[in-house]
Amino acid sequence: MSVTSVEQIVKIQGLHFHYNPQSEHPIHALKGIDLDISPGDYLVIVGHNGSGKSTLAKNINVLLRPTEGNVWVKGMNTRELANTLAIRSAVGMVFQIPDNQIVATIVEQDVAFGPENLGVPEDELRERVDWALGVVDMLGYRHRQPHRLSAGQKQRVAIAGVMAMKPEVLILDEATSMLDPEGRRDVLAAVRKLNEEGVTVIAITHFMHEAAEGNRVIVMEGGKIVMAGMPREVFSHVKELRTMQLDVPQTTELAYRMNQRDPTFPPDLLLVNEVADEIQRRVNGRSGT
Amino acid sequence: MSEEPFIQLNDLHHNYLRGTPLEVIALRGVSMEIYKGESVGIIGRTGAGKSTVVQHFNGLIRPREPGRVIVDGQDLNDPDVDIRRIRQKIGLVFQYPEQQLFERLVGDDIAFGPKKLGMEPADRRERVKWAMDMVGLDFEEFKDRFTFSLSGGEMRKAALAGVMALQPEVLILDESTSGVDPRSRRELLERLSTLHKDYGLMLVFVSPNMDDMAGLVDRIYVMDEGRVVMSGTTRAVFSQPEKLREHGLGVPQVTEVIHELIARGIKVEQIPVTVEEGAEEVWKILNS
Repeated sequence: MSVTSVEQIVKIQGLHFHYNPQSEHPIHALKGIDLDISPGDYLVIVGHNGSGKSTLAKNINVLLRPTEGNVWVKGMNTRELANTLAIRSAVGMVFQIPDNQIVATIVEQDVAFGPENLGVPEDELRERVDWALGVVDMLGYRHRQPHRLSAGQKQRVAIAGVMAMKPEVLILDEATSMLDPEGRRDVLAAVRKLNEEGVTVIAITHFMHEAAEGNRVIVMEGGKIVMAGMPREVFSHVKELRTMQLDVPQTTELAYRMNQRDPTFPPDLLLVNEVADEIQRRVNGRSGT
Repeated sequence: MSEEPFIQLNDLHHNYLRGTPLEVIALRGVSMEIYKGESVGIIGRTGAGKSTVVQHFNGLIRPREPGRVIVDGQDLNDPDVDIRRIRQKIGLVFQYPEQQLFERLVGDDIAFGPKKLGMEPADRRERVKWAMDMVGLDFEEFKDRFTFSLSGGEMRKAALAGVMALQPEVLILDESTSGVDPRSRRELLERLSTLHKDYGLMLVFVSPNMDDMAGLVDRIYVMDEGRVVMSGTTRAVFSQPEKLREHGLGVPQVTEVIHELIARGIKVEQIPVTVEEGAEEVWKILNS
């Protein structure tokens, strides 16, 4: 077995995964994934339902183990049972539907549940809960009952619960898909802040403009990684993404459409201000001549 | 519009857990109208009261005095109103449509409504086929599939078919496309748009996301804290990004680009709501 470099916080080599491998019709969900994630990365995984992105994420925090190939987290192989707890405390995961992740009847108790089980002492526990609720902007709701919160608020509580365990890697499995724009903005800001503090983020999303948050994007289709790169590089392949029926951010699509009409218009713009800058430059240039 | 609205909501108030210490005010006087042939959006951040409003549309929540709900001339305040007929006219698809499926087989699930209406088996079969066709589920392929074996997108289609099988005049989608991947969502929205255009199905989209409904609705009601805080044509509502932001909402990115240009002193003829319109507008700006 090869020795992993400590450089990578997550290392995946030749990963295949089958659901129901013993049955007559096993589902081949991952077909040979190689992926290195460095500490501090913000990796965004996009792809349709059934493309294998959630299966990949679950292989990282040992909710699933490889059928073939290997996954290492901080050098620990997920195949070794003895590593399971250590890996899970290093990799926190937040899922799509918040109701399924809430365990306690009071918000702050729910957030405290994880760290309490890790044996965090009381003083620090309080500190962590306050901090985590603050990050997701839910401090005002600490004494409320989670089941009376809206879906977006519940999701922020769920994220706080994971953050309170101070994981080194945070996996968000479509965690923002049920939030309203404001909730999403708050959560993304919190995730960005955590990433800046050094937390490695792996975000699975359908929202292409959210993918622009990351420093790396991979596109999955049919259990394989079909595109990888910086967001700008990946999104400039408007045609290929379209063929896969994935969306591109509206800004990039606008730039792409302008490029179709006028090839001098750059097609790989990503931010609202970039597009506005380009248009303004052209308007000014025209009035100047 | 001079004719009577098909649905009229007047001064609706609603409190959850009324009379308990946990009482929450959900609606503080909401009025809305939906006219024949319209496609209307209701947007607002979580907790704005959107879902509480739409549950008044088909009598899942009955109006509290002095609030009034009139549907196709029927007064829902009247305790003797035929609520089954109202619910047949107004189909409601929820946020987690998979929770609306309860039969073992897809075909049975979709046939449930027509069966309750007392349709004969042969007619029922035709109706199920029609509804599945409408939502893009192949009848032969899916009728005998287990409902739990469907993918998320397919479950949503099956739930939608179950509602469509009643041939409603109004279809309400309460965040029914959130969490659906782009391919399934686009397909679903295209189908609904066709139903709207070709069959005159009235649509009410409920969502916190402007992008979802930009090209689909004629009018928008913006809700916040139990009230309607903005209303008007899609374009008129999208023309006020600051006000939308105050209510926790955004505008589509392409609209944002145009607003940024306006802020920089560039003249713009029309606020675009879709990327197609945006490209057209930018082309005009660059070539004027």
